[in-house]
Amino acid sequence: MSLLEIHDLRKRYGAVDALKGVSLAVERGEFFGLLGPNGAGKSTTINILLGLILADSGTIRIFGEDFATRQTAIRRRMNVAAAFTSLSGVLTVRENLKVYGGIYGVNNLNAKIDELLERFEITDLANRKLQYLSSGQHTRVTLCKGLINDPELLLLDECTLGLDPDIAEKTRRALQEFQREKLTTIIFTSHNMNEVEELCGRIAFLSKGEILRIDTAARIKGLIPQQILEVRFQPGEDLEAVRHLDGGFSPQHTGDSTFRFVLDEPETQLDAIMQRLVQTGARIADLQMTRPTLEDVFIKVARGEI
Amino acid sequence: MRSSLFQELTCSSSAIWGLVYKFVCICYRSLDRIFDIIYWPVISLMLWGFTSTFVSATSSVAGVMEFFLGGAVLWSLFWRAQTDVGTFILEDFWSRNVYNMFASPITSLELFLAIAIIGFLRCVLSFAFLSLLAWLLYAFNIFHIGGLALGAFTTVLLLFGWVIGIVIAALIFRYGLRIQVLAWSVGFLIQPFSCVFYPLESMPRWVQVIAVTLPTTHVFEGLRHAIATGELAVAPLLTALGLTILLLIASLLYFHYALLQAKRLGLLTRFEMA
Ligand SMILES: Nc1ncnc2c1ncn2[C@@H]1O[C@H](COP(=O)(O)OP(=O)(O)O)[C@@H](O)[C@H]1O
Ligand SMILES: [Mg+2]
Repeated sequence: MSLLEIHDLRKRYGAVDALKGVSLAVERGEFFGLLGPNGAGKSTTINILLGLILADSGTIRIFGEDFATRQTAIRRRMNVAAAFTSLSGVLTVRENLKVYGGIYGVNNLNAKIDELLERFEITDLANRKLQYLSSGQHTRVTLCKGLINDPELLLLDECTLGLDPDIAEKTRRALQEFQREKLTTIIFTSHNMNEVEELCGRIAFLSKGEILRIDTAARIKGLIPQQILEVRFQPGEDLEAVRHLDGGFSPQHTGDSTFRFVLDEPETQLDAIMQRLVQTGARIADLQMTRPTLEDVFIKVARGEI
Repeated sequence: MRSSLFQELTCSSSAIWGLVYKFVCICYRSLDRIFDIIYWPVISLMLWGFTSTFVSATSSVAGVMEFFLGGAVLWSLFWRAQTDVGTFILEDFWSRNVYNMFASPITSLELFLAIAIIGFLRCVLSFAFLSLLAWLLYAFNIFHIGGLALGAFTTVLLLFGWVIGIVIAALIFRYGLRIQVLAWSVGFLIQPFSCVFYPLESMPRWVQVIAVTLPTTHVFEGLRHAIATGELAVAPLLTALGLTILLLIASLLYFHYALLQAKRLGLLTRFEMA
């Protein structure tokens, strides 16, 4: 039994078909990514899992129980941190966390709050009113709230939005540490490919309310086997031989003295092509291998090319 | 997919503690909420104090002072109860906290018990303060009408105040902050029909028809009766209490329905509402 099972979830807002039958299963302890462009339906999925939005149809089982009828009990064991949401502005950071600690029934609350503030390096903000915090500080307080009850299932909706790169990096580290310590199951939405690739084991590609593919980042990238080799030669070299390189490499002349080779089977082809290039006698100035990114795959998958 | 009403009726003391703690923090952190308890009731007390001083000096009707001041003190109790429920629920809208609040495991029952606790405390504070002030400024002792009568009047007013507050909050959940002004005006609409400062029989027929359906009318009629005769008219008060309890249940059901509707339409996650 999976920790979370979603079956054929559908949601329509007036004329907008936000989810067109989403099904997925997430196992205990997974760091699961929900990746997709803006408007794909990531937040809608998360909000339905929180009971903030009612789906039109479909079933959800969390911790083996039916979400629709056992919501209150299930929600005690979950939590969320989402961009653009806030806590009470007139309350201080500590007061806000105490409120949520009470709501989620947390034991040893003060110690828990201290631990979380330290984890996200905002201990000095404890007694500041929320309304006076910057958006990055705010985001981290929201994360503390999300971890207050040591949730078994944690939903993170674009939770690093608005953080500067340094803090975003620290925040990702803190989340990873937390996840390893507590074996939390995390569902992480983002439209940032690098972030998702770095953090998540499996990834679901969501586009226009449909899941296009679910797999690990490595295997998803394997969907595009090609790698691209770019070679720049020293200025003034005679490149006629390169242009007519045999062995079926079909070089593309892309700039003054630069050529591009698409390798369908890089492991076997790379050695052969390098030897031939050396034989031409043209002196090489620079080399670059480009591997496909998740983004490349995503674009191809979304266009139906894979 | 349905979220059952039954789930909303469970409650945990720690969640209620969390919510009450939030409301208490809001009360002392926000100047508005302190003003609520002191400023507005005092203004109303001064207004009716001066009016009744003038009228009782120029009119032959007995007990004018008691009618007006008793009405003013009790009305502000109703007003306090009603606005507290509304503002404490809406506080989350104003600070964009609705998302996190309603994603948490709080149930409607916990929310209302917490609001009832804080609302009750604030009403007691406000009432004690006003009674004292009325006594100091105008030598008017509201406790003269008797403990039982006072207890009955305040209970009905408190509960009916909550009914109106719940309806206001439900309307705003369902239709968004853009109907705020309309929602709050529901409270104002009650006053002229409640016969706070004038007897029911002095009203035009059509007003009377509406007035008798309001629990508040029976309270203020009862107040004047108690002041004039020193007795408590029990039957109309019991009717008013019964009516109020029915309305309270209905308003809670309506709130539940409005919340469900808001979840269907995806309104709780639309931040431009706030
Ligand atoms: N509360 C809502 N009311 C109406 N339409 C919504 C609401 N939330 C999302 N939508 C629409 O549903 C689609 C999916 O949105 P969303 O789930 O927020 O996507 P994502 O989080 O992937 O960017 C979008 O077209 C969006 O405009
Ligand atoms: Mg989103």
